Amino acid sequence: MNGHVISTVGRSTNIKWHECPIGKLERQSLLGQKGCIVWITGLSGSGKSTLACALSRELYCRGRLSYVLDGDNLRHGLNSDLGFKQEDRAENIRRIGEVAKLFADAGVICIASLISPYRRDRDACRASLSEGTFIEVFMDMPLELCEARDVKGLYKLARVGNIKGFTGIDDPYEAPLNCEFIVSDCNTAEGWGMPFPSAMAEQVLSYMESKGYLRA
Amino acid sequence: MNGHVISTVGRSTNIKWHECPIGKLERQSLLGQKGCIVWITGLSGSGKSTLACALSRELYCRGRLSYVLDGDNLRHGLNSDLGFKQEDRAENIRRIGEVAKLFADAGVICIASLISPYRRDRDACRASLSEGTFIEVFMDMPLELCEARDVKGLYKLARVGNIKGFTGIDDPYEAPLNCEIVIQQKDGVCPSPSAMAEQVLSYMESKGYLRA
Repeated sequence: MNGHVISTVGRSTNIKWHECPIGKLERQSLLGQKGCIVWITGLSGSGKSTLACALSRELYCRGRLSYVLDGDNLRHGLNSDLGFKQEDRAENIRRIGEVAKLFADAGVICIASLISPYRRDRDACRASLSEGTFIEVFMDMPLELCEARDVKGLYKLARVGNIKGFTGIDDPYEAPLNCEFIVSDCNTAEGWGMPFPSAMAEQVLSYMESKGYLRA
Repeated sequence: MNGHVISTVGRSTNIKWHECPIGKLERQSLLGQKGCIVWITGLSGSGKSTLACALSRELYCRGRLSYVLDGDNLRHGLNSDLGFKQEDRAENIRRIGEVAKLFADAGVICIASLISPYRRDRDACRASLSEGTFIEVFMDMPLELCEARDVKGLYKLARVGNIKGFTGIDDPYEAPLNCEIVIQQKDGVCPSPSAMAEQVLSYMESKGYLRA
């Protein structure tokens, strides 16, 4: 068969891996950056989407291409067939991890923003990638702070039992044990709380710059 | 709730669409191109992956960012839980369509290369996108030619019944009725990979995809 390797992968038989002359290195060189995944995890209302947007904007100002994969947004399209039971959450994360992997391979700085409450699922994502591709950012905000903000009114609904299995109320959030970056609540001009979006983005950006992600 | 729209989408409840200041227009401006999907469809061995790679290379030489979503490669990762029965093929195409949509939104020229034999599934992809985002390319090569090449040895296996439901042998291929580009033989000769790529590139250039 002319050296073609035909294999069985998952539930697909007779699959061949197709190589292409233009690969990740070429694309990174074109974009002047390293494709990677910035995986932002934390409770609902901990500032994940806010950081994702701010980071995206700061990267754009520096001429870098990024793309935000937001958990909620993905549930409008690719993951519209999934609910919130444990196995659906796991599949949600698996699929987003696979998509993020494709974006990183494309040379894009892919910013994934989703609660992703189970350690095992996040670690499985990390394990499927080559070293240095996965930058895990933990939004370490206390439940009380997130609940006080209640940005989407969901904590209120969860407290009265209108939502079941809500992370932080009656479903666990498992904090990362060894992530690359932690964003914590701090003293701001408005009192103790979440850092300003641009301040958070700057911190993550400095980390990325120091590790060489912002050059090919 | 401060004007947040909380909705129920699909099987997810309490979902809010998050907006971001950096959108498709900004990314296209950064890349100097329009994000879109080049969807290459055709029989196994009709040259889809070959065209995808050639097109990707030509775009790269012109400083444009593209990314190939190959049907086989996706079955190694995102779609590793799917087989080849009809509903799995439909789900395979649905997911690849959704991923391609994300790439196009990111400003990337996304080249999807997969048999995608059912018209309804390809049309559903097209329908889910805004006008002008979907460029369908039909590899119009005769079954005899594809089978004679038998690049992966699959037609042989299908003919003796070792593979069931193989497109072109015992599962239908429904050709596009109204696609943007058709790649055919000329006087019984297949175009070279670079000639095929040039054909697609000329179309894209004339329609403005290679500028923001």
